[in-house]
Amino acid sequence: MEKDVSFSPGIAVPIGAIERELGRVWEESGAAKTRASLINLAIYNEKTGSLETNSAIIGAIAGEHAMRAILIESDPDETGSRAEAWISMHCYLRGSKGGSVCSEQISFQLGGEAARSLQSVVFSHLDSDLPLVLWWQADFHPPIDGKLWQWVDRLLFDSRHWKKPSEQFQLITEIATLTETKLVLCDLNWARSLPVRQAVAGMFDNPAALAELQLIRSFHIDHAPGSRSTALLLVGWIANRLGWVLSDASQNPTFTDPKKGAVHVTLSEKEGASITRMLLNSEKASFELTHEPGSGLYVTNARSDSFPSMGRVIRAAREETREILLAELARGGRHPLYSLAVKAVQALW
Amino acid sequence: MNPDDILTANPLREGIANRLTPETCTLVIFGATGDLTHRKLIPALYNLAAEGALPPSLIIRGFARREKTTEEFRKELETSTRKFSRTPVNDELWNNFASSIFYNQSAFDDPRGYSELAREMRENDVAKGTGGNRLFYLAVAPDQFPIILGHLRSSGLNDALRGGWARIIVEKPFGMDLATARELNGLVGEVFPEKDTFRIDHFLGKETAQNIMVLRFANSIFESLWNSSHISHVQITAAEPLGVEGRAGYYDKSGAMRDMVQNHLLQLLTLMAMEPPTSLGADAIRDEKVKVLRSLRPLRGDDVFRHVVRAQYTEGLINGQPVTSYRGELGVSKDSTTETYVALQLNIDNWRWAGVPFFIRTAKRMPKGGTEIAVTFKGVPRVLFNQSTQTLDENVLVIRIQPDEGVSLRMSAKMPGSSLRIEPVKMDFHYGTSFGKATPEAYERLLLDAMSGDATLFARCDEVEEAWAFVDGIEEAWKTRSDDLAFHAAGSWGPTEATELAARHGVTWRRM
Repeated sequence: MEKDVSFSPGIAVPIGAIERELGRVWEESGAAKTRASLINLAIYNEKTGSLETNSAIIGAIAGEHAMRAILIESDPDETGSRAEAWISMHCYLRGSKGGSVCSEQISFQLGGEAARSLQSVVFSHLDSDLPLVLWWQADFHPPIDGKLWQWVDRLLFDSRHWKKPSEQFQLITEIATLTETKLVLCDLNWARSLPVRQAVAGMFDNPAALAELQLIRSFHIDHAPGSRSTALLLVGWIANRLGWVLSDASQNPTFTDPKKGAVHVTLSEKEGASITRMLLNSEKASFELTHEPGSGLYVTNARSDSFPSMGRVIRAAREETREILLAELARGGRHPLYSLAVKAVQALW
Repeated sequence: MNPDDILTANPLREGIANRLTPETCTLVIFGATGDLTHRKLIPALYNLAAEGALPPSLIIRGFARREKTTEEFRKELETSTRKFSRTPVNDELWNNFASSIFYNQSAFDDPRGYSELAREMRENDVAKGTGGNRLFYLAVAPDQFPIILGHLRSSGLNDALRGGWARIIVEKPFGMDLATARELNGLVGEVFPEKDTFRIDHFLGKETAQNIMVLRFANSIFESLWNSSHISHVQITAAEPLGVEGRAGYYDKSGAMRDMVQNHLLQLLTLMAMEPPTSLGADAIRDEKVKVLRSLRPLRGDDVFRHVVRAQYTEGLINGQPVTSYRGELGVSKDSTTETYVALQLNIDNWRWAGVPFFIRTAKRMPKGGTEIAVTFKGVPRVLFNQSTQTLDENVLVIRIQPDEGVSLRMSAKMPGSSLRIEPVKMDFHYGTSFGKATPEAYERLLLDAMSGDATLFARCDEVEEAWAFVDGIEEAWKTRSDDLAFHAAGSWGPTEATELAARHGVTWRRM
């Protein structure tokens, strides 16, 4: 493989000497005498050059989330067996007192047999007693290896990048079944939709507005090109929360509210943030969220003849991967509604 | 709509936030032109609004004597929020937020002001959808409380409307002694039931104060050692390098005991010493806290002079700069006997803490600022490594409340080498370097809690009264003589009398 000369993942070390060399780097740096790491964050990718991209992400979040980062660039199809490792540190001064947040990074390039024995090469380098968050940036491949997933506490992935979502969701379900209830599934696409869900939910905190929620008859979303899956998750969320059942799985689907009848959903592409507009209409009221390009703000408006108009402006969440990842890591917990939302729109993927 | 179909809770909220959702209301701030509103309350509300954490249709009404229009009021608040907000102010966000702020100009004793307020609030309930919920914030001097409370009652503003609620937030001081605290609690209690009364102590809104319970009850290694069998003594310190900073009028009447010990430090003591609550509910926690206060061995008469040291700072140096004495501060009388330093040795007479001395000290004009709880564990037996040739330092667990929030543990370790030399080492956890995320201001959390009806982080009336009952014994003894007032130079760690107080128990005050 051709090496990128402009990027170095750190100091090259023999795999058997990683812990010793890390200890030496900590000692020499003198930057932080105490390592108060929160997690092991392993990132798995099968694309060449991913170490550089992921090093940049770790560099960007390490100042706010002390960790041991383990970056894996893997080529399972390579012949033979190849395993190389590098170590590096990301340190940031914080505040006037000069305390520093330091994270350590171990980078692996694995090929062939070594890539196929991920747990033996990589997971022997976890910081003990800390949870393992695995960010799987590749597609999931069958068959699912139960041994690998038993190690993982939280599995991050991003369904926005999936070309065959239904197949991938099936594999995710298998992983979740294999690990019983231990593994927490975290779709970054679901995390991406959280600020929109919060803003939309906020429109219905008022009792008068809440009364209209069950009377929603149509639902429209404008989403960025490539963000249809984010929009579908939002549709699945609303459908699950309101008990709608999918009755027409066309491009613009129809749901049936068991008590109230049909609910029509339309999705349109529009340049801008992942979700630029959501509009929910009942007969008497409309609830709209907009996120104008470049504004950095969500504007929500609830209008009706039966209650006073209610408008709010809220700081919009940034959509860079680092921001979504940081928010997800800081939030923790399980996502009980995620699989229900996925299931509600299963036929639309 | 079929009555069975009426939603009582927003189903879209499920799984989104793991806290109670604040309810739509009108927030009325009495004393809205004051420092607290400008420095803390409005910046906190702005940040909550920017994050979408405030309830929809929230209306904020400033109620104060000074003549000004709503527009002028908003402009002043914008200026101060730009200065004091923890996040930069965005124009569009501010404009949207400010559109919910209104100003009611009135003297506090003018019934017309309350009639007008009531009328406008009723209009808001209809036009803005505030749902009849009212949250009143008394950001005024305590002498105004009876006047405002009386008018709230006579104007009917304290009555919840149509199944809504009416709550009141009271800022400290909650009285100046037990009698005035009871009087105040009685006054408030005649107008608002206890469940709707939120006595704010911003120390309890700090993340690290909240973390005391987590540290104790979510970590089995600490709680199993958290008793007189293993703990030698506890020191709680709140030090600040500042002087009275323009608060001389209030401070000279109250002093360190009333200003800091009765509320903040006794609250920290209760969190540190309480038994595990039966649940995380507000009353379950406050029941346990109040038991600690009831278990404090009362200090009366001569006991006070054996267990408490009061002092005042004289001229000295802070950060290399000369500063005046307390009596030289603007607004302080030249013969003031108000204590700016106080050190206490307390005993908690219950099963868990029998025989463990607790030390509390607070002072102005200390060399550095900081608030912490230091738990010193008993030493190991004098055998093996702890023989006469080498005395081992005890383990000390320090919970730093502010600044540089975190937890550290001192332990003994062998120095590398062929000889057996044991030295103390410190394991230090800093919130800032593990959780890099900026923590919200205490007022943000507390305001949201009040809007949600969660009183966990607010003082209950019996807590306040028990704390005053304890402090009153000391204040009463102090009235009988003044020759015990000690002095220490500004920038020093306190008077020798305090050193002697600790030394009588074989303890040395911690160097922070």
